Amino acid sequence: MKQKTTRRVFVRRSAAAAAGVFIIPNIIPSTALGMGGERPPSDRIVMGAIGTGSQGMSNMRNFLHLKNAMQFVAVCDVDSKHLAQAKQTVDNANSNNDCRTYGDFREFLEKETLDAVSIALPDHWHGIIYTEAINKKLHVYGEKPICRTIKDGQTIVAAVKKNNIIWQTGSWQRSLANFRRGAELVINGRIGKISYIEVGLPDGGRGIGTPPVKEVPPELNWGMWLGPAPKVPYRGVCHWDWRWILDYSGGQLTDWAGHHIDIANWGAGLEYTGPVEISGTGVWPMEGIFNVPVEYDFLCKYANGIEMRVANASRLKHGMGTTWYGELGWVHTDRGNVLTASDPKILDEVIGENEIHLYKSENHWQNFIDSVRSGSRTIAPIEPAYRAVSVALLGEIAMTTGETIHWDPVSEIITGNERASRLLSRPYRKPWSLPTV
Amino acid sequence: MKKQYILYLLAAVLIAIMPSCSKTANYKALIITGQSNHDWKVSSEAIKQILDETGMFSSTIMTTPQKGEDMSDFNPDFLKYNLVVLDYEGDIWPEAINAALTDYVKQGGGLLMYNSKSDPGGIVVPDSVILLKRQDFAISNEISDHPVTNGLPARWLHPADVIVQGMKPAGEDSQVLAAAYIGNEFRGPRQREPVMIARNLGEGRIFTTLLGTPDDNENTALHCAGFIVTLQRGAEWAATGEVTQEVPFDFPTAAGSVLRPDFKTFTADDLFENIGNYDITRSTKYFTYLQNEIRKAGGDEKKLLKLEKKMVGVLKDDQATNEAKKLILRELSWMGTDYCIPSVKKLASNQELTDDVNFALTRLRSSN
Repeated sequence: MKQKTTRRVFVRRSAAAAAGVFIIPNIIPSTALGMGGERPPSDRIVMGAIGTGSQGMSNMRNFLHLKNAMQFVAVCDVDSKHLAQAKQTVDNANSNNDCRTYGDFREFLEKETLDAVSIALPDHWHGIIYTEAINKKLHVYGEKPICRTIKDGQTIVAAVKKNNIIWQTGSWQRSLANFRRGAELVINGRIGKISYIEVGLPDGGRGIGTPPVKEVPPELNWGMWLGPAPKVPYRGVCHWDWRWILDYSGGQLTDWAGHHIDIANWGAGLEYTGPVEISGTGVWPMEGIFNVPVEYDFLCKYANGIEMRVANASRLKHGMGTTWYGELGWVHTDRGNVLTASDPKILDEVIGENEIHLYKSENHWQNFIDSVRSGSRTIAPIEPAYRAVSVALLGEIAMTTGETIHWDPVSEIITGNERASRLLSRPYRKPWSLPTV
Repeated sequence: MKKQYILYLLAAVLIAIMPSCSKTANYKALIITGQSNHDWKVSSEAIKQILDETGMFSSTIMTTPQKGEDMSDFNPDFLKYNLVVLDYEGDIWPEAINAALTDYVKQGGGLLMYNSKSDPGGIVVPDSVILLKRQDFAISNEISDHPVTNGLPARWLHPADVIVQGMKPAGEDSQVLAAAYIGNEFRGPRQREPVMIARNLGEGRIFTTLLGTPDDNENTALHCAGFIVTLQRGAEWAATGEVTQEVPFDFPTAAGSVLRPDFKTFTADDLFENIGNYDITRSTKYFTYLQNEIRKAGGDEKKLLKLEKKMVGVLKDDQATNEAKKLILRELSWMGTDYCIPSVKKLASNQELTDDVNFALTRLRSSN
């Protein structure tokens, strides 16, 4: 027990030392650690998980694949069925029956002594729970989009900076070779100066009308699931389908911003800034409780002259993915290992020793564990995640108001539009409030 | 003196263009029907209503001789019309009429082909076609910057219609504006069948739609807002070369099809007459329409204040449902002004609305 505490202190101190400095990740080869490459249990990163639905469990499995690098000891969810499944998974991995379970994240954060936490929740909970976990000085693997509103995002970014914790966003495309290679070609000028980017995200799907009010299933704490969101009766829409309701999510647009907009920013060098002017239109369903836009199409102008169009894939020539357009051609990346260019020769280009070499990670979850251990930054730190989702959230505001929005990416405010500014946050339902940092 | 002359001229021009600003029918449409493999009485009446509903067209239905009857007295004067609509599949017309129709288009006339798989005028050549079983399907824009499709959703759902398989539009310059995707497959290998085709011929234009076939029952496909609106837009384009009609808020989307029982959309007056009875389980359309009106105002203070006053009217209405008030409070939370605040505060005593009032007041007081 004493040994464990000592190591945890080491982990935190090194994280603090690395804060604000760009360091090539210092991955200690496992052979250097003895034990034939295996870590002794006392040297594993001790983790918990908040949110054990489909995405939370997917992340848990990806962490457990790392074998011996880390260990889950506690899980938290408002659905007791999800919670039981998560405990079972953890107990199986640990070959014991010791995984602790919680239905309330406050109790989880109060009672558990952890190195890190993996969090995968509906977006409307991100502002509160990310910030509370960070304020507890836990390192966080957090799902994208990192926030439902810009205000939530600003709070989370401030909390990460203040507490010097290691943050990894679930923007795992960064850890795939084709996305990194595409971004690296672009940032090194292989298609010349970038003037225009197209980002294609998924189209919206069918509605379900308005289902009747139902009895809340006994395993679900509906009030806690809603949390800071407006109180509504249970209509059978909860896990997974929350993404089609504006109180909890911005739909495909905000969900996928953390992937293809994030990659677009990575290649174009826009990771630490935002657009200055945003305008566009959306298409909303006429009937039913699913009310996120099923189509969206907006243009962002950046101070350096770059323009980025974000739209549902059906509207774009290249469909899904990121396409950078430069003076000399274009490069397109998408899932399924897609990497194409206006001229295939562009893809054979070698990046010289003195050029920009983007951060390389081959396993997104390993990268988080390595960073927690070494105290160096992850491949997907907090601010780029905030900047990526900001593009989508500002697009949402432009579409909602029907106006051209002017954004100051330095002071992070909307200028000259009080109505649009109000949409930068969503009031929380009492007794919930955004924690202070 | 010269100045005065210009003023007179300006007045004359204004008087000349004024009628086009109002909703007086400027364009005469001739709907030719009488033979078809569908119930042409139903479809031609529907087309007349749909075209006249725009306020731009005044339509007349003309019936051809029945199958096998003598056509020699059938002699429409196309040149009297801005738009000719063919809801006709049947006996071949006399050559002179075909030639007159072709000339009419070439000289600048507009032709709208409604579900014609064979063409009496020799303008669109039919191929061998198969009619698929009536079904719901997805429609996707193939060309989104054509006047007819510009501003429409890229994808939308269309109910209970017949897909014509194997239709090949004549003329190299034919543009397939939208296509049906069988089985609602938006992605992957998919079978695509044209459903809307545009073609310029000489000085004129031809718009073809394969949507909206009657079904001898409820005629669901004819009442699809997507069919109605694209027919109206296609008609205007064929008649004038441009489309001035706005895309209505009830155009269907990928989320679902939309029906207009009486072929009409509704107005802002209907909205505020009905939104007070808002029942989420019955329909969300009035609220969707309100949001659309707010967006359309695009930050215009006068327009927004006008809407705000009507919204406050609902808040004050004792007969209006809490559900309606909740939704109105939500919109006012960001677009409201000081005007709405007293009325919002008054609702705080309504326990059902406490959270919503807090939400609205918190946001109204916030900015940056």
